[in-house]
Amino acid sequence: MLAQKLHLLRHNVLSFVSSRTGSDLTRRQYDVIVVGGGHAGTEAAAAAARLGAETLLITQKIMTIGALSCNPSLGGVGKGQLVREVDALDGLCGRAGDSAGVHFSILNRSKGPAVWGPRAQLDRERYRQFIQSELLSTPRLTVLEGSVDELLVSQPNPEEPGHHRVTGIRLVDGSHPILSSSVVLTTGTFLSGSLFMGQTTSPGGRMGDAQSCAGLSYTLKETLGLRVGRLRTGTPPRIVKESVDLSLAQLQAPDKQPTPFSFLNTHTRCKPEEQLPCYLTHTTPGVERVVRESVHLNCHIQQDTKGPRYCPSIESRVLRFPGRRHQVWLEPEGLTSDLLYPQGLSMTMPPDLQLRLLREIPALHRAEIRAPGYGVQYDFVCPTQLTPSLQVKSTQGLFLAGQINGTTGYEEAAAQGLWAGVNAGRTALSLPPIALSRTQSYIGVLIDDLVGRGVTEPYRMFTSRAEFRTYLRPDNADLRLTPRGFEEVGCVTLRRYKKAVSVRDGLQEALMALQSVALSSTRWREKLGNISLSENKSTTLNGLDLLQYKDVSFEMLASAFPECLSQYFEYSQRLKIEAVYRPHCEKQSREMERIRSEESLSLPSDMDYLSLPVSLSHEVREILDRVRPNTCDVRPCPDTHTCVLNRLFGYAKIKSVTHVFDNS
Amino acid sequence: MLPCSWGLWRSAIHTLKTFRASPSARGLCIPTRAVCDAETIFALSSGHGRCGVAVVRVSGPASSMVLRNMAGLTQALPPPRTALLRRITDPQSKELLDRGLVLWFKGPHSFTGEDSAEFHIHGGPAVITAVLQALGSLEGVRPAEAGEFTRRAFHAGKLGLTEVEGLGDLIHAETEAQRRQALRQMDGELGRLYQDWSYRLKRCLAHVEAFIDFSEDELIEDGVLNQVDSSVRQLETEIERHLKDERRGERLRTGVQVVIAGATNAGKSSLLNTLCQRPAAIVSPIAGTTRDIVETSLDIGGFPVLLSDTAGLRDSSDSVEREGVRRARQRVEQADLTLVVVDSTQLPPDPQLVPAFLQEHLSTVLPSPEAGMKAASDRVLLVLNKSDLVPEEQRERTEGELRERPGLPPACFLSCSTSTGLEDFLTVLQSRVKTLCGDPLSGAPSLTQARHRAHLQQSVQALNQYHQYRDQDLALAAEGVRLALTHLGRITGRVGAEEILDIIFRDFCIGK
Repeated sequence: MLAQKLHLLRHNVLSFVSSRTGSDLTRRQYDVIVVGGGHAGTEAAAAAARLGAETLLITQKIMTIGALSCNPSLGGVGKGQLVREVDALDGLCGRAGDSAGVHFSILNRSKGPAVWGPRAQLDRERYRQFIQSELLSTPRLTVLEGSVDELLVSQPNPEEPGHHRVTGIRLVDGSHPILSSSVVLTTGTFLSGSLFMGQTTSPGGRMGDAQSCAGLSYTLKETLGLRVGRLRTGTPPRIVKESVDLSLAQLQAPDKQPTPFSFLNTHTRCKPEEQLPCYLTHTTPGVERVVRESVHLNCHIQQDTKGPRYCPSIESRVLRFPGRRHQVWLEPEGLTSDLLYPQGLSMTMPPDLQLRLLREIPALHRAEIRAPGYGVQYDFVCPTQLTPSLQVKSTQGLFLAGQINGTTGYEEAAAQGLWAGVNAGRTALSLPPIALSRTQSYIGVLIDDLVGRGVTEPYRMFTSRAEFRTYLRPDNADLRLTPRGFEEVGCVTLRRYKKAVSVRDGLQEALMALQSVALSSTRWREKLGNISLSENKSTTLNGLDLLQYKDVSFEMLASAFPECLSQYFEYSQRLKIEAVYRPHCEKQSREMERIRSEESLSLPSDMDYLSLPVSLSHEVREILDRVRPNTCDVRPCPDTHTCVLNRLFGYAKIKSVTHVFDNS
Repeated sequence: MLPCSWGLWRSAIHTLKTFRASPSARGLCIPTRAVCDAETIFALSSGHGRCGVAVVRVSGPASSMVLRNMAGLTQALPPPRTALLRRITDPQSKELLDRGLVLWFKGPHSFTGEDSAEFHIHGGPAVITAVLQALGSLEGVRPAEAGEFTRRAFHAGKLGLTEVEGLGDLIHAETEAQRRQALRQMDGELGRLYQDWSYRLKRCLAHVEAFIDFSEDELIEDGVLNQVDSSVRQLETEIERHLKDERRGERLRTGVQVVIAGATNAGKSSLLNTLCQRPAAIVSPIAGTTRDIVETSLDIGGFPVLLSDTAGLRDSSDSVEREGVRRARQRVEQADLTLVVVDSTQLPPDPQLVPAFLQEHLSTVLPSPEAGMKAASDRVLLVLNKSDLVPEEQRERTEGELRERPGLPPACFLSCSTSTGLEDFLTVLQSRVKTLCGDPLSGAPSLTQARHRAHLQQSVQALNQYHQYRDQDLALAAEGVRLALTHLGRITGRVGAEEILDIIFRDFCIGK
């Protein structure tokens, strides 16, 4: 009966060939259920399945799995690092980007490899296809079309902390529940979402899609008692390409040689010469005029719900920084698409005014709109209520990822989705939860910021958020994460693991080979020609020292010592980066060690702060009892001082010491 | 509750540990343990005041180098745990600082388990300051953080479980003492100078970070970096000049800081006058007579004391008096010892109600939310003034109620006009001051000063890195500014990523 009511993947109009096993229609119990098929949901489902969990992905529309709801691009400064890390943990988005990219460039090329930002414009259709076919070929993963009405919870497992325990979900049209001990919610903007355009408001999370999940919102707030806030975002109108006078815009060419996102790929699907350009143009005083005239017709902009400061609508940009020229990027939507995406022109005014505004820009003076821009307001769950494994502290087995945690951006969503999927899978398989350190990855920084600090506006990744930026580089994400992803987490396939290990060993060998060639600086000058070395004549330098110099490349050294270095040509760029950064990373190692040791002193979430045998004031006890920090890091607790940290640190240390004693 | 949470402790730590401490974490570029070796730290570990000898401790791998450089030991180190009389000189200028005893402790046979050294020098502030500064000028040597010696001893397994139990409180006490000391130092010109540097450095960092995170998509002019170049250079010059300035600007106030506080007309100024045996402060029956801090140096039982009288605490509509009250509260926050003066005639006539009344009263005078804590009651004495106006029998019964009352600081009945009870009060006060003087952290500004210098020096070094990498690798250049701000932040307060982002979004129109 369930099967009749539900639209299952294999019956979908897309007519995917389903040769998989395990996607039987009558199954009513799964190890992991993932709700939502966006960037977070797809990564979560794929990760849980990779771990070995029988996984069900429920989405309102199978057609929109892997859809790029907003901008047709992936990566960038900070975000590109996230994509590389998701890929290093065998996630989907990096490979999807390589398959769908139509314009690749490394941002910040002139500013140092630690802050390079791999980025690509995407073909929407190709991206969707890649994600869908990838999910379809993932063993143990079933995709189901439906709308979740209710989260089922019961009494908690008394052995573990929490007030509730997830037991499954109920669909809007399904009388039978689907059971699972691990549920990942990735509802994006659909949690009590409402759409805004001009003076009209309608319920929903994305224009043209089904309504939002009000029942789920109710369960989270009323049944589970979670604190919920409201955020807003928006999207620009889509413009008919033919109607744009591109001769009046500035051409932005892609990199001549595309750099793939994925560590598995040596080239992208799109050939270098097939890449599409972007165009740059600017706003005019006329744009500002239209915004000012339409403010009274624009209810989204009048509401005070928090929008992002760094991805604001054109309305708020113009109102906050008046009298300036603002950049507008005209981006391709795909190889065959007849649309352009005006990055920087997100707007919520009535459609006729949107057209008037666009036409104030010279290159868009004849522009036609295919779909108008609009704003979205949606609920998010204050993420300080989560553990570093992205599980809700008070509810066993419930994981949240993506915009529901107050973030913005595909990459941020994918990163959380992957980690929530990993932990949901581990929970289902009775493995302990696992956390990523902020000293090891941007994903760790992202999650630590969310659960440790919370959000007041949509959270986006910037490289400035990472204390150890010179170590958390896009080039070494595989070395940082892949081996552990395989050995300890279980989310990395053998093929990728073997590749990462061989790269690691190769690099190590190459570094040793470089260190083995040592000459005086005079001799180096003779060998390499006119290079400026600051050291005096008698100093002996090895190849690795030399590679730190700006003008010295690995190729130069390899031609000087072909017998021992030429075999490592494939690593030349990585070796150069490693040589420059290594001394700095070593300097930071002590601080990294300190943070890691504090992170690892976790405080159990059922700790009885009110009677803890540590001298703490009653006020502080009450705050700690309410906030229940995950670690000795007391940032999330307002009005508590460092002395509290010290006390907890002392206490935690004592306990861990005693723990060691107990074992011995 | 305990057995249950014990299990969880174990599992929580176990899980996280297994993930983090794996051998594969030693991947290609994860720095190896060898470079994580601890830094070498130093601290003054004796008190001051009537101390003939001051003891400075050094711990860490560079201890032998320190000993060689400062005690002129070119050849072998002395045998461990043997005192040796040496000339102690500045390693840079070779200037003679003092003659004193040096001791060498080879790890693991030392308090911290690391290589350690001790300098027993003359107890004068000038000598101590000079030795601490000389230590701070050595490469890889820095002033210890609060509780750091004990923490190291703990990590080396040198402490028993009972000592470990007290670790949290010890670190807390040291942190608090350092905080009070730093607050005093930051009061005034020096504080304003450091805050200004911190503000400018934050802007420099924000602008570099904006250029890194946003310049590819946004209109951020290249000129931004040129401005940063010159700001950084300017800051370097100013900090260096400050470090070279031998005058050090302000006279450092030494001694135990004792502050008299309480409601208006309780007799605070009378107490000051009584203690210094001269009319240093104006006394009158008019509430709100004292409006600013009246400060005087005293010798109590041979220990240096800096006594401050403050404005009576009350809500006032007079703006001058309000400022006085603000200063009074600030001074109480910085005090090593606070004498809370209460008008005895205002006490409840029923002695049984007095403890609760005083508890309530203290919470209005003392600033911290943890006012009722043990640590705070160590730093407070209650003075019940005007005892001559209370019937003898009521006073005695009240005294009985207050005796050995946990959670309440010691209370003394006193009459400033008749001097009744003065002797008993002085005995209590003297023993408190003596205890405080034995604590190396209270009232030893030279230690704070040495710490400040060390952080400023490191800050300047870090700024060098900015210039070094400015044209080669902006990420590494920015790292220099970040590091400089971290060091300065050790003096002025930590700066988080959010604060930098706030400046970015205030100064630039970011958004595409």
